[in-house]
Amino acid sequence: MQSTSIIMRKRITVLFFFAAFLLFILVSRLAYIQFVQGDQLRQDALENRTRDIPVEAKRGSIFDRKGNELVTSVSVDSVFAIPSQVTKPDEAAAKIAVVLDLDVDKVHKQITQKQSFVWIKRKVDYQQAQELKALKLEGIGFVEESKRYYLKGDLAAHVLGFVGVDNQGLTGIENTFENDLSGTAGRIVVERDAAGREISNAVHNYFPPVQGHNLVLTIDETVQYFVERELDKLIDKFQPKGAVVTVMDPRTGEILAMGNRPTFDPNHWSAAPQSTWDRNVAIWYNYEPGSTFKIIILSAALEEMTVNKNDRFYDPGYVKVADRNIRCWKAGGHGSQSFEEVIQNSCNPGFIKIGLNVGIPDFYKYVRGFGFGTPTGVILPGEAQGITIPEKKATTLNLATMSIGQSIAVTPLQLLTAVSASINGGLLMEPMLVKAVTDADGKVVHEYQPKSVRRVVSEETSREVASLLEGVVLYGSGRNAYVDGYRVGGKTGTAQVVGSSGGYVSGRYVSSFIGFAPVEDPQVAILVTVIEPQGGVYFGSQVAAPTFRAVMQDTLQYLGVPEQKDLPKPKNLNFWENTREPEEVRVPQVVNVPVNQAVQDLRGIGLNFMIRGEGPVVYGQIPEAGATVLEGTTVILELKTGPEEESAAQVTVPDLAGLTIKQVGGLLENMGLRLEPVGTGFASRQKPGPGEKVDRGAFVRVEFEPTAERQGPTD
Amino acid sequence: MRVKRQAPDFVLFISVLMLLSIGLVMILSASEYSTLVRYSDSFYFFKRQLLWALFGLTLLFVVMNYDYWNLRRYAPHMLIAAFVLLILVLIPGIGREVKGATRWIGIGTFGFQPSELVKLFIIIFLAYGISRYRDIGRNTKTIVPYLLITGAAAGLILLQPDLGTAFTLSGTLFIMLFAAGYSMGILGLLAGAGAGLVGLAIALEPYRLSRFLAFLNPWEDPSGAGFHIIQSLYALGSGGLFGAGLGQGKQKYLYLPEQHTDFIFAVVGEELGFIGGVLILTLFTIFVWRGLRIALTAPDPFAGLLATGITVGIGLQAFINIGVVTGSLPVTGITLPFISYGGTSLAFTLIGVGVLLNISKYAHSR
Repeated sequence: MQSTSIIMRKRITVLFFFAAFLLFILVSRLAYIQFVQGDQLRQDALENRTRDIPVEAKRGSIFDRKGNELVTSVSVDSVFAIPSQVTKPDEAAAKIAVVLDLDVDKVHKQITQKQSFVWIKRKVDYQQAQELKALKLEGIGFVEESKRYYLKGDLAAHVLGFVGVDNQGLTGIENTFENDLSGTAGRIVVERDAAGREISNAVHNYFPPVQGHNLVLTIDETVQYFVERELDKLIDKFQPKGAVVTVMDPRTGEILAMGNRPTFDPNHWSAAPQSTWDRNVAIWYNYEPGSTFKIIILSAALEEMTVNKNDRFYDPGYVKVADRNIRCWKAGGHGSQSFEEVIQNSCNPGFIKIGLNVGIPDFYKYVRGFGFGTPTGVILPGEAQGITIPEKKATTLNLATMSIGQSIAVTPLQLLTAVSASINGGLLMEPMLVKAVTDADGKVVHEYQPKSVRRVVSEETSREVASLLEGVVLYGSGRNAYVDGYRVGGKTGTAQVVGSSGGYVSGRYVSSFIGFAPVEDPQVAILVTVIEPQGGVYFGSQVAAPTFRAVMQDTLQYLGVPEQKDLPKPKNLNFWENTREPEEVRVPQVVNVPVNQAVQDLRGIGLNFMIRGEGPVVYGQIPEAGATVLEGTTVILELKTGPEEESAAQVTVPDLAGLTIKQVGGLLENMGLRLEPVGTGFASRQKPGPGEKVDRGAFVRVEFEPTAERQGPTD
Repeated sequence: MRVKRQAPDFVLFISVLMLLSIGLVMILSASEYSTLVRYSDSFYFFKRQLLWALFGLTLLFVVMNYDYWNLRRYAPHMLIAAFVLLILVLIPGIGREVKGATRWIGIGTFGFQPSELVKLFIIIFLAYGISRYRDIGRNTKTIVPYLLITGAAAGLILLQPDLGTAFTLSGTLFIMLFAAGYSMGILGLLAGAGAGLVGLAIALEPYRLSRFLAFLNPWEDPSGAGFHIIQSLYALGSGGLFGAGLGQGKQKYLYLPEQHTDFIFAVVGEELGFIGGVLILTLFTIFVWRGLRIALTAPDPFAGLLATGITVGIGLQAFINIGVVTGSLPVTGITLPFISYGGTSLAFTLIGVGVLLNISKYAHSR
């Protein structure tokens, strides 16, 4: 019997140490997996085993500057299905379809889909949710979601914007502040086996969503209400294609109100036409500002001292620039005028002279300085930046037309910001819409401070511009903007719409008024822009200035700006007679003439015009060709509305409101209708009403009243 | 003239009993859900394994009291039986194909996996054969027949295919040759040749390399080659120090494949944590320590080599299994001795332990 050999014992001992070494390796490896990688692996494993049900965060509210809630979110239930858990799909589908008013087959298809999670209906009514919950259907669940609620309907709709079905901000502030408002979504985590079945001791974790932040706007609900109210009136009166009113505090750039027409209710935005909600006219619309832009030329000329307050100007009715005659809006011209009178009269040749003296380089310095050609930086999506002719390409003729607000396009907000800079002491401010971001407890997370972009003109120049613009309201074209008890400055503007082909579109105007108060310490600046007013009245002084006055008066009083006594008032309501005696002219023949040509012909000899109907060619005119009338008389141009009407036995009764008895008679006669006049003065009521179809030769009964607003040019 | 008989190695026996108990509990925990889904009976595997364990323990006691010396007489028969079994399993109709591999021999409703028995038989034959020579270190030629036997057995097992068992068997036999005292030169040559063969196999079929190395970065192919490893790491990583608690594991909800067999150690890691994992590793180490101690104190070279072979066979298999589960080794389908579900294989392993315990009775004091 032999024992094991020595070498065998040695080697077995080696084996033992080798085994110990392997043990060490495995323990180390185990420790590495369970401690170093453990947390990550545990998390990944859980994620691998769980199905998430998202829980929407409550979106933050939006408040006005005074803390009034404008937008809030309310909790509603959304219904979902987990198809693998739906035990009786036929029965469930039938019940769900009845309660939620859905199609049975569609629901059945949804709840039998091979998916772990299916929405059946989002954001259902409270009553429906309660009914469905009471049925206790297996595999059907509810998630509390929030629904956006715009408390004030269409108030400031374009500023606020709206959200989509997943509460994502689609336009306006809702869109720009998406990250602040949305918060962080939570989720319900349910653990399942690899085949998707729920397991008994599963993890059911609820990760609560984090509520979004609130916004405090610079908008003042009350001022916004004034704006909305006046816009409604404006629409009622002039049926324009669009209108926008923006109210700004010129000292800080804070936007107190911004209203657009046409508008929509953000609660039901999808029911409104897209063009009403996909653009905010105040920041999107590029238009020729016309005479309102003269404020910019004025500021530049005063700052550069290329004009002297004692200069005198002579306006023969036109000015020749680079072989082109540019007419003053007033036939025959304003004659000899002082500098103040040029501004009050908004005299085109006068301003062209001022502009030409400024020169192209300095002119562009101020165009850029006032922020034209660049976005204002307002926190809203979809801002346009205006259109300016590049400085290198600008000709003297361009400079001349730009000096009267043509050949340059601006957005309403750009113009308001620029004019605010010219009268607030000379600082261009960045428009502000949001004052602060606050958390759910109202604690301020981020505060926005007024931001001055640059100094554009000196304080002295600014004061002078403000006081000259006060003259426009007191003595010039802006008297309809006068607010009793306050010193108001401002400027009217009337510009033709630039058509898609680039040329002006006859009879289509943008009327505007921009102004501020009080002149000695401007606290409110307002721009009213009315796009294509209808009804023959289109001058800024008639269309936009009254709206400006109403909003300005209410706003000043609401803000508690003290009224002053014994302020100068507009001296003469009929200020046109201040200039000179109108001359007699003969009405030219414009029937069958293209509208553009007709308008030029009339304006060329100092006649005003009014367009009735639509079409490319003039169909009839009142007064008739050859009649002798005074300068400034309005000639009504009736346009062809369509070939079928010409031959038809029926005609459409025109809108006669505001016309004289003579005008009405001529117009009706031209159309084959007869007048049955009542009273004297201007047409106020008519029967049949405008737009009604009557047989040719029918009588139209028109009541005349002496109080109707007088037609007359004010630009 | 035999030395005085002593009591069998109590420590080794206890470590085996503990591993066996842990195994039964873990099989119940690991399979409760999958068996509920498949057989509507959470105890399906547990009950079967419990019966096999009791049967295996009975065999263990029988073998423990059977003088190992007598095994020498049957060693050649055992070798022949081993090869017959290895060939039978490959014959269609007798061998049963499960998951793409024919590792089972089916007789009616009864089926058993011959690999474990084959392993034991070849170990016995090798111990018998080598122990007949003296001064092995200078008698290198004697190695040849044993190499041929090892190679042939491993080759047949590879045909099943069962890479894990083939590797365990050849590894075990190699270590027996090492323990027997063959010169390091010839052993080094053998190791080199083995490595060369593996290299050749990979060079012939390059796809094997990527599959072989999938364990190094399982996330490259998370739903394919890396799937098993990722699910196993998820389980282990979720365990932490103390684990989720017995029965509280989640990876067994059909995520972890082979949760009650090849990957049962992952369930242990998830439910009992690092503590549980280290406990099992320690018990295996105690088993190897006591097994090698029995070999060291064995009364004769046959007993010493036999004890070494049985101990290393079980220890190496445990190392490979845990290496696979922890993503340290390539995935090969191999069970964890004493712990994993598998009746016949447990019974044969326990027979091996019986032999070990029997040898320990004849240990000479050091």
